[in-house]
Amino acid sequence: MSKREVTFLDVTLAPSPTPTGWAEKLARFLLSRSPLGKLVRWVAAIKASVHAKLLAGFMFVTLLFIGMGVMSLQTITKMSDQAQLLDEAHERVHSSQEIQHALALQMNFTAMALLLKDETTVENILRENNRFSNTLARLEKAAQPEEVELIQRIRAAQGEALTTVADIANLVRDRKIDDAMRLQLTKEYPLYQQIEGLVNQLVQREREKMDRLRASVAAANRNTLILMAGSAAALILLASLLGFVISWSFILPVQQAHGFLSEVAKGNFAATINVPNRDEFGALADRMNHMSQELHDLYESQRRGSEELRRLNDRLQQASKAKSDFLANMSHELRTPMNAILGFVEMVLDGIYGEVPPDLKEPLTDIQTNGKHLLRLINDVLDLSKIEAGRMDLVLAEYSVQDIVETVRASLQSLALEKGLELVAAAQDDIPVALGDGKRITQCLMNLVGNALKFSKRGSVAVWVERQGDDLLYRVSDTGIGIPQHELENIFTEFQQVDTAITREFSGTGLGLNITKKFVEMHGGRIWVESELGKGSTFFFSIPLRVNHGGAT
Amino acid sequence: MSGKTVLYVEDNEYNLKMVRQLLAHTSYRLIEATDGEMGVVTALKEMPDLILMDIQLPKLSGLDATRRLRADPQTADVPIIVITSFALSGDDQKAKDAGASAYLSKPYSPRELLQMIRKLAPEN
Repeated sequence: MSKREVTFLDVTLAPSPTPTGWAEKLARFLLSRSPLGKLVRWVAAIKASVHAKLLAGFMFVTLLFIGMGVMSLQTITKMSDQAQLLDEAHERVHSSQEIQHALALQMNFTAMALLLKDETTVENILRENNRFSNTLARLEKAAQPEEVELIQRIRAAQGEALTTVADIANLVRDRKIDDAMRLQLTKEYPLYQQIEGLVNQLVQREREKMDRLRASVAAANRNTLILMAGSAAALILLASLLGFVISWSFILPVQQAHGFLSEVAKGNFAATINVPNRDEFGALADRMNHMSQELHDLYESQRRGSEELRRLNDRLQQASKAKSDFLANMSHELRTPMNAILGFVEMVLDGIYGEVPPDLKEPLTDIQTNGKHLLRLINDVLDLSKIEAGRMDLVLAEYSVQDIVETVRASLQSLALEKGLELVAAAQDDIPVALGDGKRITQCLMNLVGNALKFSKRGSVAVWVERQGDDLLYRVSDTGIGIPQHELENIFTEFQQVDTAITREFSGTGLGLNITKKFVEMHGGRIWVESELGKGSTFFFSIPLRVNHGGAT
Repeated sequence: MSGKTVLYVEDNEYNLKMVRQLLAHTSYRLIEATDGEMGVVTALKEMPDLILMDIQLPKLSGLDATRRLRADPQTADVPIIVITSFALSGDDQKAKDAGASAYLSKPYSPRELLQMIRKLAPEN
């Protein structure tokens, strides 16, 4: 198990839970190649709750927008002020033009008065003069110092011109037209020309002032526009940055957690998650590390436990195998002397060494009987040890159920006769030649019938085999001592006989039923017993009927 | 009269003695070998009419000795009775596969052994 630490900003180790798009790639590039990564880490490390961080972020953006609003408001006010200034400048230009006009009219009316020799026209001149003076006064009120001087000069000249007009008017009234004309030509006309020059100068100045103001307003507007656009762009950038930093300070630990949990899911309990967050995510990461540690400890102790178990199991298996090997060898080693014992006894009883004295016949037969019993024991022990070592293989071949029943009947007929019991053995006629280990099935039936004869003192033992669906059902019933209800389930375990007294009376290995059960099970069948104490028992075993379809009869 | 020769390959002296005494009352002549290799050598040298071969023998197992004798043209047709000791799963089949004419499981009845010998190599 690899020790792997899943670290914050370790982009390669924390695969994105969602398919990576270009935006995510860009974000990861920025995080790994720019100071933004540091900033994200710094924000993550701020000791505050996610709620507080989000609130602070939103508040900051909101404040920026409020600031922007204030700035806009100021700009609007300033622009309206400037518009007013521009209006005023326009007004002044208009006023100075009005003066110009009034002056022209004055000159015109003077000329008319001379031409018409009419006094009334002089009133018109005075009216225009008044208009001129009023307008000039209006201009003077808001005039710059250099303009004031100009205006005063105009006013002085205008005063002089008015005096001259009055003189001319008097001359006209006195019908001294020639004098009046002369005065008009020599004094009034040059005066008006002077005033006109001054007024033109004033108009020019006002116009220039207005142009300057207009240019400055335009410049100010342009600057304001640039400032506003710049502020807006900066605001958007700042808000995005803030959003980016805050969101990634949350996304990264979530992705870390995802990567970490994937590691854990893969079984790497040594993985740890390391995030700089000191908020809920940091707490979550701590809990996850704790969980990982717990899982790791649990896994380790479980692994140690199962290793221990496996070692123990190996040792047990070795011991079991050694036991079985030992038993198998022992059985073989026992058979060789048994061969000599039983062989010699048989030869003696067969009279090979001469006639056997009558009183020796019984002890010799006893030796033979016990020798054969010992041999059965050895055979059973060998079978059992082979079965338990898993080395008992069935030899599958075709066999006839009728033959098996007949073999068993023939083998045990003499024992039945000896005990005065009736042995009836038969099988259903139409059972086909079956596939299986005939030798083992014979052994099973032999065991059951042998037991039945052994435990019956009178009556009969009946063997019947029939086909039941896809199974062959073997039944061995006796009229023997029966089996107590509470012993029924133990009857098939090794070395179990109903009680030891009975064992002494009915000698047996105590292995027969166990071996029978195992052979039946190896054939895929099952064995059971029904019994009534004192009345007898019936043993059943059923084996699936397999028929060699490709074969002969 | 010249009786037929029976070779018994067996390492247990009591079993040898038993068969020796069993055949003493018959016309068969018994020759003995106490391990597999010696059994093969003796068989090739003496050319017996029948061989009794124990399955578990020192040096060379009874099955291997049987295979060797079957492979040699001189002894390919000599009847061989293999005496198996496990007589359980597949020992008889192994004996047949090795080339045994018949098999007998230990412990065998001397009476049955004699019957089998008489069947495979009838007395003159």
